[in-house]
Amino acid sequence: MDFSQMMRPMLQGTWISLEIFFLTILLAMPLGLFVAFGRMSKIKIISVPIRFYQLLMRGTPLILQLMFVFFVPYYIFGTPFKSRFTAAIVAFVLNYAAYFAEIYRGGIESIDQGQYEAAKVLGYSKAQTYLRIIIPQVVKRILPPMGNEFMTLVKDTALAQTIGVVELYRNATNITSRTSSIAPLIVAGIIYFVLNFVVEKFFLRAEKKLDYYQ
Amino acid sequence: MAVVEARNIYKRYGDVQVLSDVSVSVREGEVVAVIGPSGSGKSTLLRCLNQLTRIDSGSIEVCGETMVHTDESGICKYAEKAKLHEIQLKTGLVFQNFQLFPHFSVLKNIMDAPVQVLKLPEEEVRSKAIEILGKLDLVDKQDVYPYQLSGGQAQRVSIARALALSPAVLFFDEPTSALDPELTIEILKVMKDLAKEKMTMMVVTHEMAFAQSVADRIVFMDKGVVIEEGSPQKIFTSPDSERVKQFLQYFSE
Repeated sequence: MDFSQMMRPMLQGTWISLEIFFLTILLAMPLGLFVAFGRMSKIKIISVPIRFYQLLMRGTPLILQLMFVFFVPYYIFGTPFKSRFTAAIVAFVLNYAAYFAEIYRGGIESIDQGQYEAAKVLGYSKAQTYLRIIIPQVVKRILPPMGNEFMTLVKDTALAQTIGVVELYRNATNITSRTSSIAPLIVAGIIYFVLNFVVEKFFLRAEKKLDYYQ
Repeated sequence: MAVVEARNIYKRYGDVQVLSDVSVSVREGEVVAVIGPSGSGKSTLLRCLNQLTRIDSGSIEVCGETMVHTDESGICKYAEKAKLHEIQLKTGLVFQNFQLFPHFSVLKNIMDAPVQVLKLPEEEVRSKAIEILGKLDLVDKQDVYPYQLSGGQAQRVSIARALALSPAVLFFDEPTSALDPELTIEILKVMKDLAKEKMTMMVVTHEMAFAQSVADRIVFMDKGVVIEEGSPQKIFTSPDSERVKQFLQYFSE
């Protein structure tokens, strides 16, 4: 099998991996914000269940969560998830939102209480205080840990293959077992590395952009 | 006319009675200095007058508008939200540790609230901001970010930020406590100039010399109670209270 023959499925797999990556980011980032505010709520019926959800997501393997999300509907409704891809997205989003929420929470709680007070004294509404004063400062502080999560997610997309999503890793192992060559695995490794190289560059850029203040 | 009128303020945090039957007033154009030992409730009083914390009982009026009122049956009731916001804008506060917004330039720190909160036209706000910066000798700093400022400059910017909303009264919460002696003089001079312009001010301070020379009236607090109140001359030379005498003997030497 020549190189171009191997690359075709590899690139298709990469495309699926990227889809998982971007959809997870797109959905888990806003969901995480809700989770963070719920977790910080003084109302116990909100904060306690959310804490439990986060504990569950962070305390069990993502690979198990994928299996659960995919198979549990079968036991409840008698049919499994129609789309393996959708099941994977649901699991990834639920899992990553829990982590993002903790990063947001850390960022929000690290802002000096005096900043809220200064905003209040100047007449800013609650929404204005968050949007204009707090969130911009939080974004700067959470960039490094968010970079961590993004890079982990690039690699975690490979777990989607456990419920049969044919992404980069699955394609690489398929070709390897067909051709008894480890070349596809090496190529897969290079692709993951390049993707994360881009992620790292993106975060460096963002940090640089917010470098104008301390 | 009293710009601020607070009567019989009570405030407790848990088991600690921080303010107990405190009454103070600030008349238009007057500078009131609140002095006393640490933990006497001075800062809490300012926070109550500025709505940063709520009182348990008593009444507060700002420019004749009722912020909070306690009726005969002891029920303490705050005004509705819109009214509180209106009153909030009549009072400015300068913090001990400045609390500038680090992600805004100096000019934006000053302009943002008038533009976003008062919805004033940007050009009008800009020219006023630059005028204030000129008065506080900060024009060359307008494009700089807070981390690039010295403590004295940062505090002047925070005074400028408060002035940009044209408050009826400006509160200062130990404005020089985070500054070295040289920078302290710099800030006290700004406050003296404001006093000359008849800015109504209430200043919580440990700067006795400043209180003595600039304030029209001194309020001495200890353990959440106003012990004595009077002209600087009276308080610093012949106070009635033993506690005031004892406190001030360290400064008179």
